[in-house]
Amino acid sequence: MARKTRDVLSVEWVRLELLRTAYSTRGGLLARMDPRMVLLWYALLGIAPWLTHNVTVLIGLFLLGVVSVIAARVGPLVLGLFVFGLTTDIIALFAASFLFGGDWDTLAALAVLNLKIGVMSMASMAAFISLEPEKLSDALLALRAPELLAFGVSYGYRMLPILVDEYITVLEGMRLRSAAPASRGLLGWRTVLHWSVMAVTAFYPIMLNTAKNVRTTVEALETRGFTYAAHNPKGRILRLAHLRVRGFDFAVIGTTAALVVVAFLIGAEYPVYRIG
Amino acid sequence: MTTTPAETATRPGSPAGSAPVIQVKDLSFRYPGADRDTLRNVNLEIQRGDFVAVVGGNGSAKTTLCKTFNGLVPHYWNGDYAGSVTVDGQDTYESTVAELSSKVGYVYQDFQNQLVRPTVRDEVSFGPLNFGHEDYAERTDEALEHLGIAHLRDSFVWQLSGGQAHLVALASVLAMRPSVIVVDEPVAELDPARAREIYLQLRELNERHGITVITIEHHAEFVAEFAHSVILMADGAPVWHLPVQEAMNRHRDLEQHGIPAPDAVALSALVLGEDEDVALDVPTAVELLRPHVFRGFTAAANATASVTGIPLAAKPGLDGAEPEVAGTEPELVASLRGVEHGYRSIGGALRTVLHPLDLDLHAGEQVALVGTNGAGKSTLMKLLTGLIVPRHGTVEIGGVDTRSRSASALADRVSYLYQRPQQMFLRDSVREDVAMFPVGRGREGAEELVDRVLDRVGLNPLAQRDGRTLSGGQQRRATIAIGLAMTPSLLLLDEPTSSLDVRSRDDVMGMLASLSSTVRCAVVATHDMELVANWATRVIVLDQGRVLLDTDPRSMFSRAEVTGQARLLPPQAARIAQALDLTPTPLTAAELRTCLRTPDIHTRDILNRDTQNTEASTYSSLSKETH
Repeated sequence: MARKTRDVLSVEWVRLELLRTAYSTRGGLLARMDPRMVLLWYALLGIAPWLTHNVTVLIGLFLLGVVSVIAARVGPLVLGLFVFGLTTDIIALFAASFLFGGDWDTLAALAVLNLKIGVMSMASMAAFISLEPEKLSDALLALRAPELLAFGVSYGYRMLPILVDEYITVLEGMRLRSAAPASRGLLGWRTVLHWSVMAVTAFYPIMLNTAKNVRTTVEALETRGFTYAAHNPKGRILRLAHLRVRGFDFAVIGTTAALVVVAFLIGAEYPVYRIG
Repeated sequence: MTTTPAETATRPGSPAGSAPVIQVKDLSFRYPGADRDTLRNVNLEIQRGDFVAVVGGNGSAKTTLCKTFNGLVPHYWNGDYAGSVTVDGQDTYESTVAELSSKVGYVYQDFQNQLVRPTVRDEVSFGPLNFGHEDYAERTDEALEHLGIAHLRDSFVWQLSGGQAHLVALASVLAMRPSVIVVDEPVAELDPARAREIYLQLRELNERHGITVITIEHHAEFVAEFAHSVILMADGAPVWHLPVQEAMNRHRDLEQHGIPAPDAVALSALVLGEDEDVALDVPTAVELLRPHVFRGFTAAANATASVTGIPLAAKPGLDGAEPEVAGTEPELVASLRGVEHGYRSIGGALRTVLHPLDLDLHAGEQVALVGTNGAGKSTLMKLLTGLIVPRHGTVEIGGVDTRSRSASALADRVSYLYQRPQQMFLRDSVREDVAMFPVGRGREGAEELVDRVLDRVGLNPLAQRDGRTLSGGQQRRATIAIGLAMTPSLLLLDEPTSSLDVRSRDDVMGMLASLSSTVRCAVVATHDMELVANWATRVIVLDQGRVLLDTDPRSMFSRAEVTGQARLLPPQAARIAQALDLTPTPLTAAELRTCLRTPDIHTRDILNRDTQNTEASTYSSLSKETH
């Protein structure tokens, strides 16, 4: 089979998608909001589905989730993983319920749970895709999360692209220097196994390299007042001074809350508690 | 010549009457768990507004000394500490790292790891914010303005090039408005042209803003050009602290401590008497040398004068002509036809990196691939490994289209050595790493091959260690061993001499020169023009994805329009030779020497930097580790 350069479903594509997701380069509705209000919005849509068993309400919320995923411009990789996860979950439940003597009723009951999880997942995707690292870390700080957590989150984001690059490099090295299995085996299982082993063992050199590299980071943090700031709240106040809640934030939260209420109202009018 | 550590408090270039900004008195320091002192009875004064270079061999405690200035020693590294260090009137022992950070800024050798925030603006304001400075925004803008990187304000840290990242690290310490800045080996992780830009910025900070600059530096060329005074460290204490002119006049001292003299110094010393001042830069060297040039440079004259020990007569095109291909065409190792490649950006747009490109690589060639960052060097190398295949056109390795084989299968013919040795250490020990390929593929006599290769790079005594624990030069040799054990016909090396001190670099160059017997064709992507001048038989200059020039090193260095466009800085000897209007251009100090009438025969010794000796001395110091 002749090899060619692919723009999607390649390692390079996954790398780019991760970066686009982490750094919310696509923009979107929620990305324009104050980060604290985004978290509030997330709480609203994340909690609402757990307050009811009414399928009508859940379908309404699910639709609202779909709209927010589109408005937040969630990328194909994350969306694809979500759809893949949800469908395999449904298929697995379907298989399991029949295997253990269940019937359509069990499946219907489980479908309600799946709907709730779906709404929550979509809210998470929409919210966290819209929070670039600085915003997320500021929001956490503003909500009185520990300094270390807020810093850790932003540092994690800063390291992510570098670690991804490093991982790809090490994996390339493994590909070049390890021997591929002579025969692919049934359904290529040998090749799959070979790749899986490489994918896991590639973490080992990265961990050692990172452990070595962070020695400088820790020293640098010390010289730049990281521990000093932990005892002196002034830095925190200055850092958060730029956060402003504007009319736009209230508009988005208000509309979402109104739509949630509408979903509950429709649900009260046309309640469905069982499917099938 | 060598003074004892106790009497070293010289005060070079001191503006009369001002108090020193850093004063070190009877300082000794021992790391926890170490069995001897790292710093031994150091006495030192650094004047306000000075530009100091700290030089010295590996393990001479340069870095440890500089970490006493910002209090990391003894507050972060608390070992046995005696004596005192005063910075700006403040005793560091009674101060804290936090307090000292507004007096002394520190830029690390691995500065990438010192950047802790996602965006540039956030990174630079991190320090001032932590310390609760109300004017953090002004400080950030000011630091970015001073270094001319205001346009990078909103960039993500991972998008920066090496040079930009270094400036950001510098800006982030500048934002604390320190009176002293310490920069640890800027040349180590940057190519020489970028490092020069950093030095120009440091000079600006020093001259315009009165900041005291201290750099730790291996490359004497930068020291001679930029520093005002030089501290030579050896074995945990300063040997001397002298104004730069006097320091360079004592180039034999420097040489003795593993700091080879820059070409300008070495060449001008040849024509000068003992008491005269050597040249510190190219223009001065040209002035001094001009009366002594007695003939032009000829190929015959330099046949014995190569630094790396390859007979230069074997190099094609010495007289500036294209390599002569007489009779049989040399065997084709790789060929690229109409190759075009590009990458998707974050925004989704396709950025073309290589424009239609045709190239043939033949057996027996030692190819240097040069050009600025983003010129397409790495892409070209990756195409040759088969790790990626071109969007258009074909790449053939030994007649096999890379599209038809997996990269893993192509590895039988091509091996690729990454720029960062760390990334090539996949196993627990150097030996296992070297054996990974031949043993994994069940090669006959694999174990003997591994032994032979390890022996050849002189790493047998260290073969059981993890590659990461070796010194920079040893790591590089380990990666070369990994490449050799793959017995490739085409060997690709990405920046094999970057982040090495001068000794290890000569060592690696010598090793590359000896490769020709085992590897059919070697391609090196590099910024190191000394390497190009000494090693390559063919240079391919890439510029914005196109081949700008494909010739031999001498012809390339004599074409100023090409070196200018591709931003290549010829070796100092070549720049001197050009200013002296010598054609063809001598590329090394040894070659240039053949054109000079030298009064003192003994001083010639300093130019005979014989690689054999260098290798021997490096091997004998294998067990020395630096902190």
